[in-house]
Amino acid sequence: MLSPRRLVPRRLAPRLLASRPPTPRPPSARLRRAGYLFSLPSLAFLALFLVYPLLYNVWMSVHDVALRGLLGEATRFNGLANYRAIVSDPDFWHSARLSVVFTLGSLLFQFTIGFALALLFARPFPLNGLLRSLLLVAWLLPPIVSGTLFRWMLDGESGAYNALLRAAGLGSLSHDWLIEPGTSLAGVVFANVWIGVPFNMLLILVGLHTIDPELHEAAAIDGAGAWKRFRWITLPLMLPVSVMVLLLGLVYTFKVFDVIFVMTGGGPVDATTVLSLYVYEVFFRFFRFGEGAAAGLLLLIVPLVAGSIYVLRLRGEGEAA
Amino acid sequence: MKPARHPWLLTAIAVLITVAFLLPIYWMVKTSLTEPDRILAGSPRWIPAPLTTENYSAALEDDALLQALRNSLVISCGVVAITLLLGVPISYALARVRMRGSGAMVLALLVAQLPPSIVLAAPLFILERRAGIDDTYIGLIAADTTLTLPFAVIVLRPVLRGVPRELEEAALVDGCGLTGVLLRIVLPLMVPGLVAVAGLSFLIGWGEFVFGLTLAQDPDVQPVTVLLNAFVGQHGTSWGRLMATATLISIPVVCIFAIFQRFIVGGLTAGSIRG
Repeated sequence: MLSPRRLVPRRLAPRLLASRPPTPRPPSARLRRAGYLFSLPSLAFLALFLVYPLLYNVWMSVHDVALRGLLGEATRFNGLANYRAIVSDPDFWHSARLSVVFTLGSLLFQFTIGFALALLFARPFPLNGLLRSLLLVAWLLPPIVSGTLFRWMLDGESGAYNALLRAAGLGSLSHDWLIEPGTSLAGVVFANVWIGVPFNMLLILVGLHTIDPELHEAAAIDGAGAWKRFRWITLPLMLPVSVMVLLLGLVYTFKVFDVIFVMTGGGPVDATTVLSLYVYEVFFRFFRFGEGAAAGLLLLIVPLVAGSIYVLRLRGEGEAA
Repeated sequence: MKPARHPWLLTAIAVLITVAFLLPIYWMVKTSLTEPDRILAGSPRWIPAPLTTENYSAALEDDALLQALRNSLVISCGVVAITLLLGVPISYALARVRMRGSGAMVLALLVAQLPPSIVLAAPLFILERRAGIDDTYIGLIAADTTLTLPFAVIVLRPVLRGVPRELEEAALVDGCGLTGVLLRIVLPLMVPGLVAVAGLSFLIGWGEFVFGLTLAQDPDVQPVTVLLNAFVGQHGTSWGRLMATATLISIPVVCIFAIFQRFIVGGLTAGSIRG
């Protein structure tokens, strides 16, 4: 019977790399050949549908590809002109700023709320497992469904959140959240935090369980209160886990497209056009393929850097263990 | 951690938090069961009375929704099939056979999860059109599988390592090839792992939006997520019908999660952070 702990959702999957290195056994040449044959279909598939398209994207980014390029007409090499066009577009920098605010806002809240919930759920109490599972449903819903849902929750006239504010006597704080330019970004961050909290909670909970309970017991005997134990035991020991959770969150939050797309379409005007939506607009709305490809590669930078740091740390930990 | 002095107090706090957190999901279902002309009332009611299925019949009367649900079912099942078909053999090879470059392959699979979908959708839009597989199930299944295959291998490889080697070695000595060992000895032992990967791949295929939006224009292949997004634009204020549609899309997700949650939740909390 295999241990269920090995089965984890996609977003946690990379950390499994750190499992122990292969047990060395001298394989026969026949076995090794079979191994390559077993790997070939997957590698061919990924080469065809992942690597080649990404390389083609690089090619497009240095060529003058517009709508006619789609029809197979000749396109010419234009060096860095597409990149120059993108970085001199004020909308690009506007989107980059929005992406940074959206990502930092989402990470800050989903991490702290996730941490607080993890501290609660790390303690044994009746119905713990059931409630934890219920929270996870929020993370598993298709993002398009969650986005639609929050469009309704944040509706100005009949939205549930405004009704709650009014019921609490805070009606003056109610807004037409997704329609007003000043609050729409907060609205999409709010929805994205809701999606992200259960996942953060789960990862942090896993980390909390690795802390030796004897440390807390010893500190309690020495008279350390709950806050002191949290500050001087839990927090420092959770630092490496926290860095990993935040790196993973950075990769996934920077990529977010669907939630924002369905909630605001990037609007009002361009108040929520984060980079992924900007790329969509340039490429799929204006059919400026060359520039869209260049913008896409610029969008790739942050997930790639954060993801690489994540993978390197994972490997480091794996070797140290 | 030591047992709390008042465990039921903690339960009460956790219940309150869970209820507050899941309010949007309650609200979705509540709205979908409320009579349309009561939904936009100035002060919303917290409990739907009288209950009605009017919104569901309105949503399901639309052939487009049924077609889109069918499309999503076909796409998700296709994603599951291709992911397992491609993923199991390579996971087995990476788990068991010492090959040149297997470390690089695992690394590549990790990196393969990093690119945003929209960055891949852009070139795929042109390449699939040239290859004549835009607007087809195949085109969408292939695109979605770029999301599921890397994760499937990374999850399945350790599962396969957990299978006792002695069993396979005995079979190898008995003259079974690697394929025979995989099919006859290993696969039956890893059924729980396969089921979980299948479940998660299905959920990814079911919830996928970016490829559906960009690689298919034909309503006969577009997934239901794209339809929901279009509904939001068309019937922006028929919230009853929108929420009925959203609820219908969520039902399979909740069912699959209910079946596999033992693996997903129990797995994450029982294991260490490094799995």
